[in-house]
Amino acid sequence: MTSAANAAQLAPFGQMSVKQIQHGLRTKEFSAVDVARATLARIPEADEQVHAFLETTEQLALDAAARIDDAVAEGRMNEMGPLVGVPIAFKDNMNLTGTRTTCSSKMLENYVSPYTATCVERTLRAGGIPIGKLNMDEFAFGSSTETSAFGPTRNPWDLGRVPGGSSGGSAAAVAAGLVPITLGSDTGGSIRQPASFCGVVGIKPTYGVVSRYGVVAFGSSLDQVGPFARSVEDAAITMNAIAGRDELDCTSQEVTVDFTANLAEDVAGMRIGIVPAFMEAEGLTPEVKAKVEEAAAKLEARGAQLVEVELPNAKAAMSAYYVLGPCEAFSNLARFDSVRYGYCDPGHKDLGAQYEASRAIGFGDEARRRIMLGSYLLSAGVYDTYYYPAQQVRTLITQDYLRAYEKVDCILTPVSPRTAFEFGEIADPTSMYLSDMFTISINIAGNGGMSMPVGLGADTGLPVGVQLIAPAFHDSNMLRVAAALEVEYGVAPVAPASASGKAGE
Amino acid sequence: MKTLEEVFETWEAVIGLEVHAELTTLQTKMFCGCKLEFGAAPNTHTCPVCLGLPGALPVPNRAAIESICLAGLATNCEIQKHSMFYRKNYMYPDMAKNFQTTQGPVAFCMHGHLDLDVDGAAAKERYRLDDLKPGEQEGNITRTDEGYVAHVGIERIHMEEDAGKMVHIGGGEGRIAGATHSLVDYNRAGTPLIELVTLPDLRTPEEARLFMQKLRQIYLAIGISDCSMEEGSLRCDGNVSLRKRGATGLGTKTELKNMNSFKNLHDGLAYEICRQAEVLEEGGVIYQETRHWDPSAKRTIVMRVKETADDYRLFPEPDLAPYDLSDEFIASVRAKLPELPDQKAQRFAQSYGLSAYDARHLVEHRATAAFFEGCMDDAAQAGDGEKLAKPIANLLINDVTAYLNENEGIQLDATPLTPERMLALVRAVAEDAISNKQAKEVLAVVLAEDKDPEVIIEERGMKQVSDTGAIEAVVDAVLAENPDKVEQYRGGKTGLMGFFVGQCMKAMQGQGNPKVINELLGQKLEG
Repeated sequence: MTSAANAAQLAPFGQMSVKQIQHGLRTKEFSAVDVARATLARIPEADEQVHAFLETTEQLALDAAARIDDAVAEGRMNEMGPLVGVPIAFKDNMNLTGTRTTCSSKMLENYVSPYTATCVERTLRAGGIPIGKLNMDEFAFGSSTETSAFGPTRNPWDLGRVPGGSSGGSAAAVAAGLVPITLGSDTGGSIRQPASFCGVVGIKPTYGVVSRYGVVAFGSSLDQVGPFARSVEDAAITMNAIAGRDELDCTSQEVTVDFTANLAEDVAGMRIGIVPAFMEAEGLTPEVKAKVEEAAAKLEARGAQLVEVELPNAKAAMSAYYVLGPCEAFSNLARFDSVRYGYCDPGHKDLGAQYEASRAIGFGDEARRRIMLGSYLLSAGVYDTYYYPAQQVRTLITQDYLRAYEKVDCILTPVSPRTAFEFGEIADPTSMYLSDMFTISINIAGNGGMSMPVGLGADTGLPVGVQLIAPAFHDSNMLRVAAALEVEYGVAPVAPASASGKAGE
Repeated sequence: MKTLEEVFETWEAVIGLEVHAELTTLQTKMFCGCKLEFGAAPNTHTCPVCLGLPGALPVPNRAAIESICLAGLATNCEIQKHSMFYRKNYMYPDMAKNFQTTQGPVAFCMHGHLDLDVDGAAAKERYRLDDLKPGEQEGNITRTDEGYVAHVGIERIHMEEDAGKMVHIGGGEGRIAGATHSLVDYNRAGTPLIELVTLPDLRTPEEARLFMQKLRQIYLAIGISDCSMEEGSLRCDGNVSLRKRGATGLGTKTELKNMNSFKNLHDGLAYEICRQAEVLEEGGVIYQETRHWDPSAKRTIVMRVKETADDYRLFPEPDLAPYDLSDEFIASVRAKLPELPDQKAQRFAQSYGLSAYDARHLVEHRATAAFFEGCMDDAAQAGDGEKLAKPIANLLINDVTAYLNENEGIQLDATPLTPERMLALVRAVAEDAISNKQAKEVLAVVLAEDKDPEVIIEERGMKQVSDTGAIEAVVDAVLAENPDKVEQYRGGKTGLMGFFVGQCMKAMQGQGNPKVINELLGQKLEG
């Protein structure tokens, strides 16, 4: 077995694929403890500028790695699960016993999880090595990770730019090659948009495919957990580990599909939907539009049939989202009241004053904005004007997708109207909300969507992702298309600065 | 302050009840697997879900849904196939999530009713009941021979979760006023709770009490709760307002809390009605407020003034899918319905020739009804069941019930009285071995000393004198001692019969056969 010192000399495990790591373990080229140590050892320097990690979990990682090495020694490696030996890290809204789960908020700065989220538990049961917790927009409110109370994450492709958000840390950690796999959560685009900005694969599965138990809720009817990876295969392997019914989340569903099964099938005969209205949307930059058209052409060349579909109500998705999301967030965040845990402003004589001061200081601007918005939208006399129509819009959009999927197997659209923007570039909240214009309707309808990297934009030279949208519970359709695009564009590279070890320079 | 009777001369009270019952017979909480146990060490039955920890999600307890449907079917509600949970948002530390999961406009059970038999002293609270003849209807009541039947509408029964329990330290009697700090026990948080809301169909405190009693009997019969008012597993709030007799609008109501016994429910409402009448008659205004019944001071005090309606920002609970109850599910619950108190009373009346009144009171306590059935089963073998049913019912309804009431909390099956002993006792009366009055004495001794009736009769030398000659001598002596009363009796004051019987019994130390005494007195006074 290799020593820890030598392990650090090996190629960074965070830049390897799942299969490469597992091959190395199987051939005893290195041990799981080597993987854990080397991965952890690289983070302080490699993440210094990126700031994807909020916490690393040395002891948990080494304990998990030691168990894997025992299994390998006893010839039980194949029993360990699909992620055996793979370093993995989690968005900081996911509970993992003994770690801080801060949601990047001052409110939960010192909150230590007493239990583990199902999605996290499943990656660990599948043999994953937990490396740490990842930065995000506070309580997942944002599209840039700038609202984190602990400082922003930087885009590994250009440290002057945002990684997207809210799962910015999850996307950046994979793009920087710190870990091969991370988990994020997506309420309106929070996996797909940062995946696009950072040039990695990001999957938001159909609502109900992955358990939400233990993931701090933002919009309960919209939230869904999914993986980030650089290859479609690694993402699919992770999906296999985390998907399926969980008794602790009664909105989760039975899932028996093997997400890796059809990756090699290519797209011949598949019908791919193109939404003309999306392609003409105001704000869509020419380089992103060109990339979507290029991807469509490549798919067509491989034998897919391109079919125009209409999503006439999708334009109302943004409005519905900014009603439903804040309403649910208002209620979900009510528990952060300073009484039993979380930030408590001292010295108040009565409960009301303590609540007010603690929440005013503990929550950042965007969290307070959404709480107040939700509180207003749910109040008597206002509810009927907004909440009820928003639910109707939801039904209409769901029907739009159902109709579209009568004609197509998968829909191809932009993820974000543009590539990663600079810090502070978008200061107006409503402009920021437009980052999610192409992703939100999928959360509203509940079906699956993913961001697939298709190279760099012609104008900015920054990563561009295209969005693949599958019918509900047919998430493997989009993975199949993604795999075909991967053949065209190659597996997503580690961001050049990180790959050459110059992230800090 | 005026008495209730005086108030009712001018005012009509409009009362509605909100009754919370914890489903204590379930094993686990409403939305998590934590054990339900009253009296456990604080915060020992908790988990991320009932503590409302970040990331936790609710999973509904299927058995609780069955229980509420049972409650609905037993109270003549329509079971709604389609309903859902809602979040009721308010900040208070007893509710860790700062919202309560409850139901919205459509509850699992809607539009039910209970018919209350109001008789005896309870019927007297009703204003001018005697204006109605038996069989006559007025509003929601129908006059009967012994009183009236009140038809009380039930608006809904919905499912929700209980809050934790707050204990305020440093103030008086655990109150928040003056407290230095408060403790919360989350063992109770997430306990499945059903809330029944009546229509404002009740008019007297007695009707409210009877409604609660009947509801409690039903809940106990279907086994969904231990229904302990002291421990708070059955709780009742009363909404009460007054209006002038003949008026149809509704006055401003107050909400009354802390009525944790049937007596407190009655007395609290009675006080509040009289208080409101006094305020109104003095030209004052009733404020919509929550008031606390203080049983020791015998008055209600203001807890909270509701200036505006609370805005709970109710919206559908996104973590729980809407319910679509199948016909099969509802049928399966219906199949689990046991015999309900009303049905049991009807069966008792038919099978054992009891009056409706007796039958109804026999089924008030499940243990008493079971005891009665035990007696009847034993008697069936001897073939004297029909003859003994009435005397057994009388002793159970009057003497035994009084004994149980005096020894609060005791159940009939925990007393020394057994069906065998009861049968021995009433058979002794049937055989004229002892008098009814003596039977009551023997019963008291059975209960107090745990002895067989035969032994007690023997020990105390009890016997009943039925010998006509011996009794005639006593009757003659009594009549001779009271010539003036004999005169009055013959002059038409026949009520004096009781006096004469009493004097004879006294002379015979209670051992005279009252039937024979009555006969002889009758003969001699009329003759």
